[in-house]
Amino acid sequence: MPTFKDFKLPDLGEGLTEGEILKWLVSPGDEVKLNQPIVEVETAKAAVEIPSPYAGLVTTLHHGEGDTVDVGSPIITFDVDPGGAATDGGVAAPAQTNVAAAADMVPQIPHEPGLVGGPAPKAATEEKIEVLVGSGPKSGKLTRRPRKQVAGAVVASVQRAPSPAPQPARVSAAAVGAHAEQVVGEVHVLAKPPVRKLARDLGVDLRLLTGTGPQGTITRADVEAASNGAAAEPAVVAAPSRTIDFDPATREQRIPIKGVRKQMAAAMVASAYSAPHVTIFTTVDVTATMDFVDRLKANREFADVRISPLLVVAKALLLAVRRNPLVNSTWDDAAQEIVVKDYVNLGIAAATPRGLLVPNIKSADSLSLLELARELNQLVATARDGKTPPADMSGGTITITNVGVFGMDNGTPIINPGESAILCFGAVRDMPWVHEGELAVRKVTQLSLSFDHRIVDGQLGSQFLADIAALLNDPALFAAWA
Amino acid sequence: MAVQSVQPSEGPELVQLLTPEGERVEHPDYSIELTEDEYRGLYRDLVLVRRIDTEATALQRQGELGLWASLLGQEAAQVGAGRALVDRDFAFPTYREHGVAYCKGVDPVTLLGLFRGVNQGGWNPHDKGFQLYTIVIGSQTLHATGYAMGLQRDGADGAVMAFFGDGASSQGDVNEAFVWSSVFQAPVVFFCQNNQWAISEPLERQSRIPLYERAKGFGFPGVRVDGNDVLAVLAVSRAALERAREGSGPTLIEAYTYRMGPHTTSDDPTRYRLAAELETWKLKDPIERMKAYLSRTGMADHDFFDAVDTAADELAAHIRAGCLALDDPQPLTLFDNVYAGGSSLLDEEREQLAAYLGSFEGAH
Amino acid sequence: MSGTTLTLGKALNEGLRKALENDPKVLIMGEDVGRLGGVFRVTDGLQKDFGEDRVIDTPLAESGIVGTAVGLSIRGFRPVCEIQFDGFVFPAFDQIVSQVAKMHYRSAGNVKMPITIRIPFGGGIGAVEHHSESPESYFCHTPGLKVVACSNPVDAYWMIQQAIESDDPIVFFEPKRRYWDKAEVDPSAGAPRSLWNAEVVRPGSEVTLLTYGPSVKTCLEAAAAAETEGRDIEVVDLRSLSPIDWETVIASVRKTQHAIVVSEAPVYASLAAEVAARVSEKCFYELESPVLRVCGFSTPYPTSRIEEDYLPDLDRILDAVDRSLAF
Repeated sequence: MPTFKDFKLPDLGEGLTEGEILKWLVSPGDEVKLNQPIVEVETAKAAVEIPSPYAGLVTTLHHGEGDTVDVGSPIITFDVDPGGAATDGGVAAPAQTNVAAAADMVPQIPHEPGLVGGPAPKAATEEKIEVLVGSGPKSGKLTRRPRKQVAGAVVASVQRAPSPAPQPARVSAAAVGAHAEQVVGEVHVLAKPPVRKLARDLGVDLRLLTGTGPQGTITRADVEAASNGAAAEPAVVAAPSRTIDFDPATREQRIPIKGVRKQMAAAMVASAYSAPHVTIFTTVDVTATMDFVDRLKANREFADVRISPLLVVAKALLLAVRRNPLVNSTWDDAAQEIVVKDYVNLGIAAATPRGLLVPNIKSADSLSLLELARELNQLVATARDGKTPPADMSGGTITITNVGVFGMDNGTPIINPGESAILCFGAVRDMPWVHEGELAVRKVTQLSLSFDHRIVDGQLGSQFLADIAALLNDPALFAAWA
Repeated sequence: MAVQSVQPSEGPELVQLLTPEGERVEHPDYSIELTEDEYRGLYRDLVLVRRIDTEATALQRQGELGLWASLLGQEAAQVGAGRALVDRDFAFPTYREHGVAYCKGVDPVTLLGLFRGVNQGGWNPHDKGFQLYTIVIGSQTLHATGYAMGLQRDGADGAVMAFFGDGASSQGDVNEAFVWSSVFQAPVVFFCQNNQWAISEPLERQSRIPLYERAKGFGFPGVRVDGNDVLAVLAVSRAALERAREGSGPTLIEAYTYRMGPHTTSDDPTRYRLAAELETWKLKDPIERMKAYLSRTGMADHDFFDAVDTAADELAAHIRAGCLALDDPQPLTLFDNVYAGGSSLLDEEREQLAAYLGSFEGAH
Repeated sequence: MSGTTLTLGKALNEGLRKALENDPKVLIMGEDVGRLGGVFRVTDGLQKDFGEDRVIDTPLAESGIVGTAVGLSIRGFRPVCEIQFDGFVFPAFDQIVSQVAKMHYRSAGNVKMPITIRIPFGGGIGAVEHHSESPESYFCHTPGLKVVACSNPVDAYWMIQQAIESDDPIVFFEPKRRYWDKAEVDPSAGAPRSLWNAEVVRPGSEVTLLTYGPSVKTCLEAAAAAETEGRDIEVVDLRSLSPIDWETVIASVRKTQHAIVVSEAPVYASLAAEVAARVSEKCFYELESPVLRVCGFSTPYPTSRIEEDYLPDLDRILDAVDRSLAF
């Protein structure tokens, strides 16, 4: 039965990617011998004669004279077994090629040719690389080859991964063999250069850390955690290091003053010694607020945000600011003006791994409760990761600090420089209280407000704090005062 | 603009024993006596060697080889030299000596790997005394000289033949080989196939004097032979090899011939030479003259010629099948045989590549 | 047999003698190596004892020296080529990189090149042009070659014999400014280590100096001077430049966490750059500072009156140590 074989236009060794069919030397139906010339193909003004790779019948010519064909695409199909029955020839039958006229094998080149062959005739605009030897340049890949999906697999080299001291590293045979380590009592510290620099800046001794990175490397987070402890809850706690690394010789530890600590210190000094601070206190029954918080937590709309009392306190403060705008201002000593702001960039004091930071939520007063909740979450998470962008750190207009998470009731907070008031919010405790004339166990908290007495006097401060307290005592007032 | 090569006049000194018309002639210094079988054998060699070449050229045109360096027209030069070599002699070819390879018993299929791109030399040089092809022009003449110096030190009864072309004669290494071989009287024969062209540069771009005369400047004999006359080439080669074996040092043989085909399959000679020149040299075809001689003397008849053609067809089929069966090497073989003593760095790189390749879909 | 005090040049001479004695296939070839005994006398007396066929005065043709060595190797000999000076290896460069380096690979292991190419190298001897080069990087960059450099007489004596015994082609660099350095060599002791091992020639804890050839002594002198300042410097003699003994190098750098490569060759695209890159990769987590390189500047080798400013010396090395530790 017929056996069809395609012949594809080959790369004739000249960096060819296409060729033009100049002249067919055979027609469909012709019987051809192995190596019989079948077609002339033009490559850069040189015509090359191609000999037949098969003996058999020409079935189809796939292109006409004058057609440009891509290298690798079929130009002619043969039936190499036209007889159908198995002959002792078949494909392997030695064809009667012309032995003596070897000169015929010299390519006949009627046109003015190119020396080394090269691009197809359209090469006026195309640029091809001419090669004298070999099959010419191949085109590059354009897409990636798909990788295996292996769970947790690290595709790659058997490059050595770092190992924590003092284990011998898993390295390739070449790099370090089984007898690699000459540790000689020295502890290896495995950390990338940027992490080392961070450690030095923060005054952290890498040798004392256990790394949580791959193969025990010390990560940036490890260093930050060691510096100030990890933040867990909103605006909470970098657990301060309880251990001090005293030098046995001097019985002292010297901690370098740098980074966040340095900035915080400067801010505190600037604020404390320029604004006359007055702090007032009030104690509030916030049972209703805690109920409100519970209901918010159960509310589907707030399902994807963390709700805490801080959210309600923040909302209360924002509402109170609207009623007492002067607390949301700046003493501009240079211009001899007090700048009152119509927007509230609400700062939340956060104890982060890097130290005390006060990122603010821009235009917090224009946010819905849900939006505010989200912003708070975001702010807290970012601060905990130490990734607060600088823009969030400036432009605050009023601040809340939460000492309740430390278990404290109240404090005398220092105003954030550039602002005129700061609210301190303490722990919410079950306390004995007089409720509707009877002794009851209620949820009670203390609020402290420090204010700049150049701008805010006692009456205004008290009024402001009283508004907040009132809202927290009875959240229905949110609706009344909105 | 095509440049004409130097046309041999009627009288350049050329040792010739068989004219282009197939007539036997005598030469004062060289003669040859062969049996009828040997004459017929030479004809057969010429035909088969040409057939190797034309089949490989066809395979290249069919995309099975990336490149081929054709010896078309130079069959007699190579068969004459190749048949003068004996087993204990070592040949150092360029990249075109497929005819010498054939005479030395190297399977022509093994020549193809280099040109197909599956290896850089498919045979073991020690098996047949035939070095791998050398593509850097002329380098092998120094290797041949060194080998010959080794034969001297071994006291071995062998000789070396270094093949190179007219273009190569300009290379420093070839000239250094002339210096060394003459100074040490090394048993090496320098066999230059002057096929008139070094790609597109004609002979006069390589030398102001006939190439064989250069040997005199280095202190050893040179002889020019009709490179299309297999009998003359055989005679001259045998004499030179004998000279070498007996300790008389090197000889330069200039086999005056013509490169009928292109430099390689990527070359187009019509850019630089005239068709008329080809026509002239067709009249000096090495096979035609042997055929004429055998016919005229009755040493061969149609049956014999047909049988040779059939043998050529079979050889061509063998080459074709062998070529198509040459598989691409496996990627990791990239690292094989860089060093006799191995390398841990390469072991590491090989592991890395293996892991990398194994990370793709479809890899096992 | 106990040890004898030998200069580095004499140690090479003794090692070559041993090689000629042990294997009749060993040949020595080069310009002036026979009757003169070599311009540095490294082959002194060998032709007299082993004959002209084995210790060969060659024509003045470096390509010829290496090219014929290729042929001799194919015939089964074990040639030891001498290139008279570093700057004159370039005529042989093609034979070395195109032929010698590739032969085993391209012949699928059928043709071996057990050739040793000896090259006196380095500067600091007040010489004219082309006599003070450090071309080792070109050969390290060539796959198929192995490259070693001795730094002292003991290594010279053993390494030359080991190189000759190897079936791979080896470019063997000899620090010519150290040819007259002396040490006790004990031929009965056996080779102290493999040809391919680096050696910690001076243990230390703060900084690792990675070096070879003529710079080893300079590094040792620098380390000794630094000790008086309370600095503890480790010096590693690479010995084998291709392949490098990364195990020893990495172990040292992991320990000290500071690495400096010292060599005379021009710094740009040098072997020192490969060492720096690979050490940086392998010791990324341990390094306290980037790997520094103290090398020749990226200029041709200067005229001799100014060469001391070009070559890495004690002060430049210790300056780099300071910088490394200050990161």
